[in-house]
Amino acid sequence: MKVGVPRALLYHQYGECWTSFLDRLGVEAVVSEATSGTTVVRGAVYADNEACLPVKVFAGHLLELKGSADSILVPRVISQHPGMKACPKYLGLPDMARALDPDLPPVVSPCMDLSDRRRRWTGEWYQVARDLGASNMAANAAVNTLVDQLPARASRKGPGESGGIRVGVAGHMYNVHDQGVSLGLVERIEAMGADVLTVEQVPQRFVRRELKTLPRKIKWEFESRIVGAAMHWSRTRSVSGIIYVSSFACGPGSMIGALLDDQFEREESVPLMTLILDEHSAEGGLVTRIEAFMDMLRHVLSARARQS
Amino acid sequence: MIIAVPRVGSLHYMARDFCERTGLGFVEPPPYTKRTIERGVAISPEHFCFPMKVLLGSAMESLEAGADTLITVAGYGACRFNYFAELQKRILERHGYEFQMVAFDSPRDSVPDFYRNLRAVARGAGLSISRIVRELALVLRKGQAFDAITKRSVGMRALEVEAGAVDVAVSDCEDVLSVAFSRDEIDRALQEIDERFGAVRLEPERPHIKVGVIGEIMISMEPYFNIDIDKWLARRGAVVDRTIFMSDIMTPFGRNPVRGWSDEEMAGFAAPYLCHEIGGHGQLNVAAASDYARKGFDAVVHLFPFTCLPEVIARTIFVRMSGELDLPILSLSVDEMTGRAGMETRLEALVDLAWARQGLAASKSVSRPRKQSAPLGSGPAGAA
Repeated sequence: MKVGVPRALLYHQYGECWTSFLDRLGVEAVVSEATSGTTVVRGAVYADNEACLPVKVFAGHLLELKGSADSILVPRVISQHPGMKACPKYLGLPDMARALDPDLPPVVSPCMDLSDRRRRWTGEWYQVARDLGASNMAANAAVNTLVDQLPARASRKGPGESGGIRVGVAGHMYNVHDQGVSLGLVERIEAMGADVLTVEQVPQRFVRRELKTLPRKIKWEFESRIVGAAMHWSRTRSVSGIIYVSSFACGPGSMIGALLDDQFEREESVPLMTLILDEHSAEGGLVTRIEAFMDMLRHVLSARARQS
Repeated sequence: MIIAVPRVGSLHYMARDFCERTGLGFVEPPPYTKRTIERGVAISPEHFCFPMKVLLGSAMESLEAGADTLITVAGYGACRFNYFAELQKRILERHGYEFQMVAFDSPRDSVPDFYRNLRAVARGAGLSISRIVRELALVLRKGQAFDAITKRSVGMRALEVEAGAVDVAVSDCEDVLSVAFSRDEIDRALQEIDERFGAVRLEPERPHIKVGVIGEIMISMEPYFNIDIDKWLARRGAVVDRTIFMSDIMTPFGRNPVRGWSDEEMAGFAAPYLCHEIGGHGQLNVAAASDYARKGFDAVVHLFPFTCLPEVIARTIFVRMSGELDLPILSLSVDEMTGRAGMETRLEALVDLAWARQGLAASKSVSRPRKQSAPLGSGPAGAA
């Protein structure tokens, strides 16, 4: 029995706990290869043309799993905290996957609603484990592994300490940390001699503190983290500039992009640049814009140094 | 306190009724024009969805017409609209407008917030909250009656014996309803409406196709953005049914008196294809499509704004449903660039397909198309 896991969307958030759940069951987890140009192109051809880039990439990964897995695991991630919501794309993801291609292996879609009582949503994972042929005990053990492995991490690594300028990259993990999607954005910035901070390195308590200053609560969990982190960086001056990464047709992304623009204009903020990725993004355009942004940051810093 | 609301479906009808009851000032949102769209697009961030751009333009017009309070509903579930009220406020303030904004969340999300907003309105009107709630219940009842007129009329136009009879009946019914205020009056008006529609002569044996219209609320309900699709389809011999009504959305507890089936039933209809709500009205549209398939409809038109989150998911699912249920579903995404000709060509193809499926190819049918070159409001689609 092989269960496929697409290396896309919330795999970048929860991948470890999903695969360890399958490992514990003794089921082989087939994770699709890292995103390549072909993945993006095939996904863009197959998925709805108005879907956002990450969903197209997800479709590409699904297609790659077609021959190599007996079923595909696409959990339905609903919420992380009470009152918070996920982007509609996560909510409808398993149904979209089923509608994508009739020849796909069956899609298994247990819910993951971390705001709900744990017994409720883990029950669905237990059922999945039993359906995969596990015994009662093994299924329970696997569910426990899943819960234990839930990412509590605030940061995987601190920022590099090269002593250069610091740049905050605010964006979804599945955009920023997927080389095939972001065209190696983080590495490119680091190669230009800057230290990069990403959203998941900001402790949750700072994020929550900044979010409280907004007049209306942002109800999308991951987007609220991005906004909170960006505001934290800007207000504490822990970075010299922020690059906001979003993808074309991203709904929540379009709203928080506009919010960040407006909020940063109202207060003394660090410079903000918005990068919108889509399947047509080319390295040349990306590099030029990052270079221009970095030059601008260096210019600001040296001007400030001369003044003082 | 002079209020303005978005012009969507029967929402401004209900708001006007509410203001007449409570003595609040009300600015009728001006009908949409090309200029509304242009002004809205000019001040919107690029990736706002089309209804939000239009509503920004419309809000500017309402404020210029004298409104000082914008009342809006702050979205349903997880779609973009959830954060629109806040950004609308920021953008309009930036452009020099001064106003108060009351954004009603669903009481299902937060009862305290809902209460706070009610209190803001009550204070502006100088009335008690209990009075406001009582009036709202009546407003809702009237809104349901208003929507019922629409629901009734779209199913009759293609079968009317005298051209235009249904439109006359609709305006008669609206006149009757507009002077009904108390609960008894509204109930009596409902009876009169029933009789008035009963008096319209129909020819049920006339060959016709059945078409369902579903989609995002703004695009599927506002004639200006959908080339007045109810009448457009009726002229081509289609009996139309629609699923979304503003008063259903406003009715608490998901009972949907106009549509006729509750939110629980909706989840059941949508079940094999979409097993979770996805914000906006995505799940409702999937449920409606499967309901139309069961009822033997010939085609379904699905209208939504470009990159609408829930509807794009629904469209992906429609590809599968269309094949499995043997139902033609045409998805059209609309925005400020949409041309009328492009929309009409696609719709004509769908209508032809529906007729062909009935075995009534265009050439054979006798009384089918009563094509009139009736003037339609030149929509955003009017550029062609």
